[in-house]
Amino acid sequence: MSEITIEAVPERSADPNAPLLEVTDYRVGFKTERGLAKAVDGVTFRLARGRTLGIVGESGSGKSVLNRSIMGLVVSSNQIEEGSITFDGTEIVDTDRQPFWGNRMSMIFQDPMTSLNPVMKVGKQIGEPLKLHLGMDKKQARERATELLTQVGIPEPTRRLDQYPHELSGGMRQRVMIAIALAGEPDFLVADEPTTALDVTVQKYILDLLGELQRDREMAMTLITHDLGVARGRTDDLLVMYGGRVMEQAPTEVLFSAMRHPYSEALLESIPTLDHPKHTRLNPIPGSPPDIVSPPPGCRFAPRCRYAQDRCATDLPELVSDGNHHYACFYPVGTEAGAEALQTNIERGQTAVGLRVSAEGRLG
Amino acid sequence: MTTQHHSHLEDEEVPITFAVEGVVADDMPAEQFVTRKTLGWGFWVSIGWLVAIITAALLAPVLPIPDPGVDLSSDVGLREPPSTEAWFGTDALGRDVFSRVIWGARISLTVGFAAVAFGMVFGGSLGMLSGFLRGWFDSLTGFLFLTLLSFPALILAILMTSLLDRTLFTICVVLGVLGVAPVGRLSRAATIQFAEREFVTAAHTIGAKRGRILIRELLPNVVIPMGALALLGMAVAIVAEGGLAFLGLSVEGDTITWGKMIADGSDRREIEDAPWVAFFPITFLFLTVLALNFAGDKVREYFDVKEISV
Amino acid sequence: MAGTGSAHLRDDPNVLLRVEDLVVEFKAGRKGTVHAVSGVSFDVMDGETLGLVGESGCGKSTTAKAVIQIPAPTSGEVLYNGTDLAALKGEDMRRMRPEIQMIFQDPISSLNPRRKIRDVISEGLAVWGDAHGTWSQDRIEELMIAVGIDPKYGDRRPHQFSGGQCQRIGIARALALDPKVLICDEPVSALDVSVQAQVLNLLEDMKTRYGLTLLFISHDLSVVKNVSDRIIVMYLGKAAEIGDAEELYHRPRHPYTRALLASIPEPAPTVDVHEGDIAGELPSPINPPDGCRFNTRCPHADDICFTDEPIMTQVGDADHFVACHHPVDVTIRT
Repeated sequence: MSEITIEAVPERSADPNAPLLEVTDYRVGFKTERGLAKAVDGVTFRLARGRTLGIVGESGSGKSVLNRSIMGLVVSSNQIEEGSITFDGTEIVDTDRQPFWGNRMSMIFQDPMTSLNPVMKVGKQIGEPLKLHLGMDKKQARERATELLTQVGIPEPTRRLDQYPHELSGGMRQRVMIAIALAGEPDFLVADEPTTALDVTVQKYILDLLGELQRDREMAMTLITHDLGVARGRTDDLLVMYGGRVMEQAPTEVLFSAMRHPYSEALLESIPTLDHPKHTRLNPIPGSPPDIVSPPPGCRFAPRCRYAQDRCATDLPELVSDGNHHYACFYPVGTEAGAEALQTNIERGQTAVGLRVSAEGRLG
Repeated sequence: MTTQHHSHLEDEEVPITFAVEGVVADDMPAEQFVTRKTLGWGFWVSIGWLVAIITAALLAPVLPIPDPGVDLSSDVGLREPPSTEAWFGTDALGRDVFSRVIWGARISLTVGFAAVAFGMVFGGSLGMLSGFLRGWFDSLTGFLFLTLLSFPALILAILMTSLLDRTLFTICVVLGVLGVAPVGRLSRAATIQFAEREFVTAAHTIGAKRGRILIRELLPNVVIPMGALALLGMAVAIVAEGGLAFLGLSVEGDTITWGKMIADGSDRREIEDAPWVAFFPITFLFLTVLALNFAGDKVREYFDVKEISV
Repeated sequence: MAGTGSAHLRDDPNVLLRVEDLVVEFKAGRKGTVHAVSGVSFDVMDGETLGLVGESGCGKSTTAKAVIQIPAPTSGEVLYNGTDLAALKGEDMRRMRPEIQMIFQDPISSLNPRRKIRDVISEGLAVWGDAHGTWSQDRIEELMIAVGIDPKYGDRRPHQFSGGQCQRIGIARALALDPKVLICDEPVSALDVSVQAQVLNLLEDMKTRYGLTLLFISHDLSVVKNVSDRIIVMYLGKAAEIGDAEELYHRPRHPYTRALLASIPEPAPTVDVHEGDIAGELPSPINPPDGCRFNTRCPHADDICFTDEPIMTQVGDADHFVACHHPVDVTIRT
């Protein structure tokens, strides 16, 4: 059996208060036949130990590409990376991140069906990072694996060690995946839609579990989700992405209580909630997410925005900062400029890009 | 500046590189940015070769080439190397090799095509029916396929050719029969795979009868992997004919096939004295098989990609 | 009496679909029989939307497919306008199909990748013809416009459309035959959040415009509440609770319903978040528990729950029925 060797593990930095992850103007593009697809177009954030950053977005927002690229999971030889990412003081853009995997940074994925090796027993899969990163031998690894399975709440852990993934339910598989991800004791965890494919009762369990484990280990975590409810309850800071760009960025409660970006607002308004009586007419966002190879000039969201003015179709808004609340919009929600913009659109019956606006300010 | 925009009722038209709008969709580049694959220049070169050889074969009677059976020893000589009078030289009986290669193409390509057609029609339909109907019919055809596959192809071919008159027709049938089981299994697997998709259930809920579902929903989808297989199958059949010729079991009489030419030109004396007699049919066989394999592969790749990337 | 009973079935001439004691079982190789649906009853009135909600393994999709006999259920009655669909033989059932149509979860997989969408939508008409035995392009165009697809794209293939658009095409296909009942099997689960609202609004519009009766299956509680008049909650092949949508969500009685509502990221105010912490795993449908099937995970289970199956009983005078030996008392929190 061949040994997997890893290069020298990067040193932990001396300063415990420095943010673990510093991402500055990070861009990721893919060369395609039609041109450069700007999947991530300028993202900046800081993540400290023990904190959770939520990244919310839909298809094409770039949320998955962002996180996988930070991890260094290059999937295409056509990928271009620009900008800066410092992990614990070390610049990692355009480098091979393999030495970090498992022991410094780790990832859990969305689909528990396909993320585990179907022909390897559960115990062995958890054992690999233990032997590799913590230098354990077979016996120690087995003991520790049992501990880990108990920590993630799997009943009869010793029996599970010798089972194959297909013998476990979806929720259990997800827990095994968490155990594997945490076995190497990483400082940073990327959770990519970890509960999307799970039932709602299992989802709650898994999210509770992740929160607990994070607190115990002082891990930094990014939680990618499309579910605003999950984002609200489980994150400290929030990043809302659309078309590869950051639309709004703030501590979670601030973002929800003083929402500034029309996309965030529209997203929240389009979701049915339990408070609404039955048969409530929903407020969908018309249209579809943008083409990231040749996006429309100006604000990416303008074609679907009820506040859109002429300027929005030509100029690209940069992030404006209001303390630790950042948003990229010329006519933000809850501001005078925004209110005027909406009023203008209501009066003329349409937005600057031709979307019909009703008298109540709804689209269509 | 205002941009044209469709009415709110419509979604924008979606370019091909668009990601799947799905909760479980991965906005990962592999899926998102795979643009439409072209078949590539290699494919077209292969097709070009095949078209050329087929055209030459079809036009053989009217091409300005010598009769392939005529002894040219008086003009050119026996076992003469390639020259301006005989481009590929002459063989042991003074016959023009170039002409024989062209005429041989007629038979070899016919065998390739007919054998595959036989396999596709019988194997393909049996496979589709068993994949769609399942149950006892599926078990029965499964048993049939298994039996056919259990015979070493060579033994089966020898058996059949020794029992039958070795005409062009029977050779095609023999090779066709050998193709029935592999084709059948593939078409069965493809049918099952597509039959599990929701669009087939949808056709059912619409009230379409089973026959209609088989023809209108499944067949257009199954045809794609079958088509790719057909090109590869032709290659196999042509080579198989060559194999039979080596055993002296190919088409009887004066009929010219590449296999027979290679067989004739391959005994010790011929190879030493007149290597071109075997060399040219071998080259043509090789190039044709290569073209078929390459084209078949490209077709499969092209349609696979279209399926996966939405 | 099998299953959780039928006390909740209504005796009303407007009932269009009435399912009584539906059982769907199938063999799982040598392991035994999967009891996917074990005695479920419900009815739907003309113009009503019944939401079928539950988590994976509860049997909601199987129930939906059994209603349209794909495949036919193991036993039970499916009365549509008085005719028992379960008792119909092949060709007779096929003739009933235009009246009960279905839309599917995966918008891409539910359309034939090799056919033009115009042909996909008109397939039903091609099979049956309209009232005159023929059909016109106009009807197809009218349908396409109604669901929001520009008819000029009719010659394109499904892979050229987005998920939301494919779902609209699927809806147009189902409506082409002018059905009375539309069964929606998780129609928005595979769509982006901003597109879900589009399709849900569309379904409501179509329901009004074409006078449809809907059976809406989903695991998403908020979506189901938005769309439904009445809701039935299923667990491991059984009906646990059924009633008016508002009533059920504001005063859930079954411990499982309460657990579901407590687990939603923005939980219902009427339940304590910790009610969502139900222990254990879902039991196997091959060997479901005796008595109440929720007994392995229910915080209130006692002896009777392990021996006797609970039967649907009305809660007060409301349109609200629960199958539980110890229905949870109402606690309303703000």
